[in-house]
Amino acid sequence: MANVSLRNVRKAFGAVEIIKGVDLDVADGEFCVFVGPSGCGKSTLLRMIAGLEDITSGALLIGGHDMVHVPSADRGVAMVFQSYALYPHMSVRDNIGFGLRMTGHDRADIAARTAKAADMLQLGPVLERKPSQLSGGQRQRVAIGRAIVREPGVFLFDEPLSNLDAALRVQMRIEIGRLHQDLKATMIYVTHDQVEAMTMADKIVVLHGGMIEQVGSPLELYHRPQNLFVAGFIGSPKMNFLAAKVTALCPQSLDIEVQGQTLQLPANGALAKIGDNVTLGIRPEHVQIGAAGDSLTGTLRLAEYLGSETMFYLSLPDGTEFSVKADGLAKGQAGQSLHFTLPALACHLFDANGRTLLNATLDK
Amino acid sequence: MFPTPVQKASPFIRISYQIMLPVALIVWLFPLIGVALTSVRPASDLAAGNYFGMPSYFAGFENYGAVFRDSLIGQFILNSFKITIPTVIGAVGLSCLSGFALANYQFKANLWIFFIFVAGNFVPAQILMVPVRDLTLRTGLYDSVYGLILFHTAFQAGFCTLFMRNFIKSLPFALIESARVEGVSEWKIFAYVVMPLMRPAIAALSVLIFTFVWNDYFWATVMVQGAHAMPVTAGLYSLNGQWVAAWHLVSAGSIVAALPPVAMFFLMQKHFIAGLTLGATKG
Repeated sequence: MANVSLRNVRKAFGAVEIIKGVDLDVADGEFCVFVGPSGCGKSTLLRMIAGLEDITSGALLIGGHDMVHVPSADRGVAMVFQSYALYPHMSVRDNIGFGLRMTGHDRADIAARTAKAADMLQLGPVLERKPSQLSGGQRQRVAIGRAIVREPGVFLFDEPLSNLDAALRVQMRIEIGRLHQDLKATMIYVTHDQVEAMTMADKIVVLHGGMIEQVGSPLELYHRPQNLFVAGFIGSPKMNFLAAKVTALCPQSLDIEVQGQTLQLPANGALAKIGDNVTLGIRPEHVQIGAAGDSLTGTLRLAEYLGSETMFYLSLPDGTEFSVKADGLAKGQAGQSLHFTLPALACHLFDANGRTLLNATLDK
Repeated sequence: MFPTPVQKASPFIRISYQIMLPVALIVWLFPLIGVALTSVRPASDLAAGNYFGMPSYFAGFENYGAVFRDSLIGQFILNSFKITIPTVIGAVGLSCLSGFALANYQFKANLWIFFIFVAGNFVPAQILMVPVRDLTLRTGLYDSVYGLILFHTAFQAGFCTLFMRNFIKSLPFALIESARVEGVSEWKIFAYVVMPLMRPAIAALSVLIFTFVWNDYFWATVMVQGAHAMPVTAGLYSLNGQWVAAWHLVSAGSIVAALPPVAMFFLMQKHFIAGLTLGATKG
């Protein structure tokens, strides 16, 4: 069992607190992804689990054992670095077996484990090469191979794919996913790439300013963000945000005024007061483009034709930027007016502090 | 492209370049050429006043033979090696360790210790002359190769540490962290990960320190009196006294003394140049 638990974990460099109390449980065999903007502490948190950074206060448990004062090597973790960290003077075979050789494993065992890892990662033909003779994807695989041979309970990945080109990234993403299925090990993966997070994770942890904003499955975060930050961070293109004001309260609904129009949302009126400033959020793909006479109007700034879909970027009369995802056949010219409606069921509502009052209820 | 390559410049510039370059080279190398020619000049030429012309015949064998036969230069060269090689090993070896520590470990006084190493380079050696001589006298190291080895090692350690620390700092730190996660001990990280990557730096630094120490004259005269421990630089001066007007022999001795560092440089020049830039571009 290699479940990882963090209990009120904090990290400070001098007076500056980087990680401000994190509680998290990663179950055995789970694929957990840390995402967040740069500087949010996601890499620091990973390095604390790895034992490369001290934990200022709090508890870290791996497989139920307290690991705060256990050296990195004895935590049963293996780490894959963003820069691959391959030893340039050693062949692929030596790179993979280096850790085992230095910690006194016997030759037959090292050879067997190296062969198994090489087989898994299709590194057989390049075992005698030096890292400088490998392509980016192969280097990445060697780095993963070095982690596999240690047979750790927990794999830690620190933005492992960010140095690869787009096509290779997709391929390696699939390979890491397959590896997770084969090894059934716990994996913690740091990335700033949303697509990686959405496609690979069982569980996503959104970090911001050293704190956890929300933990949940990819779709949970996408459809039911708990606050404005998660709503804006998850999803690309981003969710649209419009300033709004509560105008009327009913037991089963709530009226808001947005861009001069009144919109009735199916929310419990007890959550807000009349006159509250709120933020309305709606994803670009949920906005419906309609004919003249529809409730809202914006000026088209830019249209991107992606084939499968068309992205319209609008400015609303008050200057707010607004994006709409339409089907691939939709057309528009910069400068023209575009009319659209906001389906009430697709709207999210956030209070002045950024907490969610209402999530969209899209059931199809 | 700036500057314009000489091959593409106007004919005037190109031709003046082709004339000026050899002239500059000859002026630059004139003393060396003079010494080299004199070392193969027969004594009769000097008596006849032929100081700068071509030698009347090639007397290299008799001159160089005379130097080795009639003087202690063989002993002096041996002493030079006895002093230089342990110093190179000691200074470079110690600085690998201190550089590794200063580059990789965060401890309180790290930066201060590093500054002290650097600052030591700016202390003029001359002001240490009297204290060092007193110290060696009291410790019984005066007039021995061991005293010279010890003090050269100490004096070179500052620069070597600066060089090595910056070189190791420029290595990707993830290599060391990765080895740590794999459970490799710090000594093994040093021996198996860091040392192999430091080879160019070690080669460059070795050539540099070899040359510094081999060419040292100052400390050799301060700390050694007898021929038994005298390195070749100081030994040459004693040749001057032995052969007051035998310039051809003094020249031959000088050439012999200058050869080892030159040979060392040419043997290692590839590493030397690579190592210097490696150390310089980062850190």
